[in-house]
Amino acid sequence: MISKDFTIKNKMGLHMRPAQQFVTAMGKYASDITIKCGEKSVNAKSIMLLMSACIKCGSDITVICDGPDEAAMMAEAASMIESGFGEE
Amino acid sequence: MRIIDLLKKEAISLNSPANSKDEAIETLIGLHDAVGNLSDKDAYKAAILAREGQGSTAIGEGIAVPHAKSDSVKTPGLSAITVPGGVDYNAPDGKPSDILFMIAAPLDGDLHLEILSRLMVLLMDPDFCAKLRAAQTPEEYLSIIDAAEAAKYPDEAPKKEVKDAGYKILAVTACPTGIAHTYMAAEALQQAAEKMGISIKVETDGSGGAKNVLTKKEIADCDAIICAVDRNVEMARFDGKPVLKTSVTSGINKPEELIQKVLDGKVPVYHADAAADDADDSAEKESFGRKVYKHLMNGVSHMLPFVVGGGVLIALGFLIDTIAGNANVGGTFGFTHPVAATVFWIGKAAFAFMLPILAGYISMSIADRPGLLPGIVGGYIAANGFTFKSLIDNKNLVGDGGAVSGFLGALFAGFIAGLLMLVLKKAFEWMPKSMDGIKPVFIYPLLGTLLIGLVMLLVNPVVGLLNNGLSTFLTNLGDSSKLVLCIVLAAMMAIDMGGPFNKAAYVFGTAAIADGNTWIMAAVMIGGMVPPIAIALSTTFNKSKWTAQERKNGPVNYLMGLCFITEGAIPYAAADPLRVIPSCMVGAGVAGAVSSLFACACPAPHGGIFTFAVVENPLGYIAALIAGSIAGALMLALLKKNKEKKSA
Repeated sequence: MISKDFTIKNKMGLHMRPAQQFVTAMGKYASDITIKCGEKSVNAKSIMLLMSACIKCGSDITVICDGPDEAAMMAEAASMIESGFGEE
Repeated sequence: MRIIDLLKKEAISLNSPANSKDEAIETLIGLHDAVGNLSDKDAYKAAILAREGQGSTAIGEGIAVPHAKSDSVKTPGLSAITVPGGVDYNAPDGKPSDILFMIAAPLDGDLHLEILSRLMVLLMDPDFCAKLRAAQTPEEYLSIIDAAEAAKYPDEAPKKEVKDAGYKILAVTACPTGIAHTYMAAEALQQAAEKMGISIKVETDGSGGAKNVLTKKEIADCDAIICAVDRNVEMARFDGKPVLKTSVTSGINKPEELIQKVLDGKVPVYHADAAADDADDSAEKESFGRKVYKHLMNGVSHMLPFVVGGGVLIALGFLIDTIAGNANVGGTFGFTHPVAATVFWIGKAAFAFMLPILAGYISMSIADRPGLLPGIVGGYIAANGFTFKSLIDNKNLVGDGGAVSGFLGALFAGFIAGLLMLVLKKAFEWMPKSMDGIKPVFIYPLLGTLLIGLVMLLVNPVVGLLNNGLSTFLTNLGDSSKLVLCIVLAAMMAIDMGGPFNKAAYVFGTAAIADGNTWIMAAVMIGGMVPPIAIALSTTFNKSKWTAQERKNGPVNYLMGLCFITEGAIPYAAADPLRVIPSCMVGAGVAGAVSSLFACACPAPHGGIFTFAVVENPLGYIAALIAGSIAGALMLALLKKNKEKKSA
């Protein structure tokens, strides 16, 4: 299991479009992915759960990947989050 | 921010006939526009379509949440539709979408993220979605959301409900003097209601005017009203509501019982008109004694400020004259020095209204407003001793000093005037309705005044004789008889603390001041001061005899006693009457005896410790107070049983 901290950079926060991209991307991996934001901890393979966490711009989150391909999963998650999901 | 605050009933369309994504979007935008959320419908639609162009807002499981942040949004809000069978919304799971929420959010801020988050929390629950799909009316749809939101976010919901619910029960408390009982009953009712989990508002009609007054809306919204009153309060406002009328003492002693009665729905609906017409009917339920007491107390309570204000000013006149060195001027003591004379005669002016007010308000209590005038005139005639003979002989408004029927005559005038007006009302029932307006402004005042005048001119000489005889008898009492009288009067003050015995002794005392027998007032006042102080002493030094609540209220009783507010003793006496009342009577009797032995005299009818400066032989008076209070406290120690250890 590996974990890494991030800060959400894109102004709109983790709204539905990036969330959907993220969920779709993570769905490719066999490992589990959990995002912690404040007191909430959600399965980031579910769009509803991810949206329910209400992750805004500037939120500090922790991404936790656990499984056989956790390293590759974390690498893609990190690149998506750090690039601001292709948004400003 | 709650979903049900953002989603208006009119922005919900169930079982929409839409059969494509475009039609569903069109419908949702139309709903937003209809409830006024948008300033520019076309711009908003463009923003929605642009968003859909970047990727579908369907999230699977039949749910789609189209949304746009746009400056064409005037008011943030939601619209919602359900589509039987669903529409193809390019959902990730390929299923058709049948539950659609459209979010309209302003450009700035994260509101749409918060709304999305909350919608997701709710929509995650398959049962919730099933209920939404089955909902048949917008109201039902909203109530499903409301219930789910209340369950998921429990800390938000309840506040609003309490605010809207108003008060379940209202109450009015009023006692004749309006100093102590009124507020004790209010507190008892509030505590009981709190214990029972009932919301209550209590209006206190005390001597300082009505506080915490009930509003029209509160009256309209409440279940019932409890009136714990010993004098008349404004009742017309309760027309058509269930009203439980009872005495102030039941408000103090059994508040739970009263509230329970209301909850059980055992309270009759009050009708103002019927109450006026059927006065005899409803009054019959009250005992005759209680009716008389209530009328008497209405007069006494209105008279009291005149007695206190006038009495203290007169006492001040004596005090100033004493300071000015005029203590030995004889008959003009109290109004020899110019300042003394000023306050003294202002006080006398107040005293002049004492008996007319007493009679007027007794009569008003019996016959409502028409009773006021004849009562006042009757009291005035009683106070001035007018007789047929005195008026005819003097050819002027001059009374016969020997025929002043005084306070007894005023009581009589008050009751007779009230009854007279009741008879007049009956006698003029035959008049057509169109003449109703003329009765209270012409017929009642004219006939009422004339009749009570004639009656009192007849009664005055008779009652005057009786009154004079009583005064003469009192004045002529020997020292030993004075002692007995002082003991009896002081003990009477302690029997019912504000009830008829107490007031009888008190009115006797104030009347005696007018006759110059200020030693009577000294015994009366000391008798009224002892009970609260004796109880306070006992709660301080005999803690085991009292409950925690009783001990907590003990210190207040020192103050009440010193201010001659005997009513402070009532809760204690009511809780254990057979032991507390005899104790208080013994204490008061001892005080009366000591006061008499030291030849104390008090020229002021109220004021307690504040009048000690004008009391004759103040040291003896203080000794009387201390002796009486200690005697009372010792009696309590002797008679009262120990409370169980648990409560101590």
